[in-house]
Amino acid sequence: MAYSEKVIDHYSEPRNVGSLDKSDNSVGTGLVGAPECGDVMKLQIQVDPETKEIVDAKFKTFGCGSAIASSSLATEWVKGKNIDEAMSIQNTEIVEELSLPPVKIHCSVLAEDAIKAAITDYKSRNQD
Amino acid sequence: MSFDQPACNKCETTLVSQLFCFSCKTLQHFPKGIDFFEVLGFPVSFEIKSAELELRYQELSLELHPDFYGSSSEAEKLLSETATAILNSAYKTLREPTLRADYILHLLAKKQKLDERSLPEGFLAKMFFMQEKLDELLDSGNTVKLSGMRKDLQKKKRDIEADFAPLFRKYEDNPEDTVIPQQLQTNLNAERYLRRLIERIPAND
Repeated sequence: MAYSEKVIDHYSEPRNVGSLDKSDNSVGTGLVGAPECGDVMKLQIQVDPETKEIVDAKFKTFGCGSAIASSSLATEWVKGKNIDEAMSIQNTEIVEELSLPPVKIHCSVLAEDAIKAAITDYKSRNQD
Repeated sequence: MSFDQPACNKCETTLVSQLFCFSCKTLQHFPKGIDFFEVLGFPVSFEIKSAELELRYQELSLELHPDFYGSSSEAEKLLSETATAILNSAYKTLREPTLRADYILHLLAKKQKLDERSLPEGFLAKMFFMQEKLDELLDSGNTVKLSGMRKDLQKKKRDIEADFAPLFRKYEDNPEDTVIPQQLQTNLNAERYLRRLIERIPAND
């Protein structure tokens, strides 16, 4: 099955690959997996403690091209959003943007799960 | 899975495989929802002897092969093709322990809703760590360490596979149990992660 141009773009030049300091309290880390294909995805966000805006995001994904592209796109989208806005990102938006075929929808679900896991982790570390 | 022994459409001899009657050498009109064990003529069990499986597959392929039905009716030709296709799928699935485990689990656990994504506690973090470590080793091209990592991963994979037989034995004895099938699903998921890691290591020694 051919990948869409946008998938190839993100796959060949993934944005925001890397990691943030897990122990920093302004960082939230989401680690999720898709056991049906053996993919594992780590997505991290750095949050401004005052404005709750996501100022940086990094990811590292071991998986297929669509999983890499979905997480790369996810980091681009969360940057500049506040954590509540980012929480409402839906996997269907990722599917649409990357023109993912039905067999690759789970990759977008994984990216949505990773965003939510990272935000949940951030919140749990910053309960006032 | 019925306990009634299916019989030949033509001579009424009890069938070994639902695809073909070895007694009167007739292709059978097999039911659509036939499972792979009925295809090859074995009871549903994880413990299947590979020599027996191999032999049955050979016997059936010889009888079903579309080449032998070149001058038969269109219906028979089609039947030999569909029977051969399902025979090949059944054989490929049942001969490989992991595929067989996955297949039987879903056959037996039909009524139960399994958590298809379960993994052992802390497993995902370990797999992420191993993937990163593998990246480093692949970059450094350290073949000694790479080969060591492959051996280590293969051992972990074998340990999981070694649990299949005793777990299935328990499950086949207690088909209403809900803990064992979930444990099997978890093991299958973990095995898939290990397999993906092993696949990334070039086999050059």
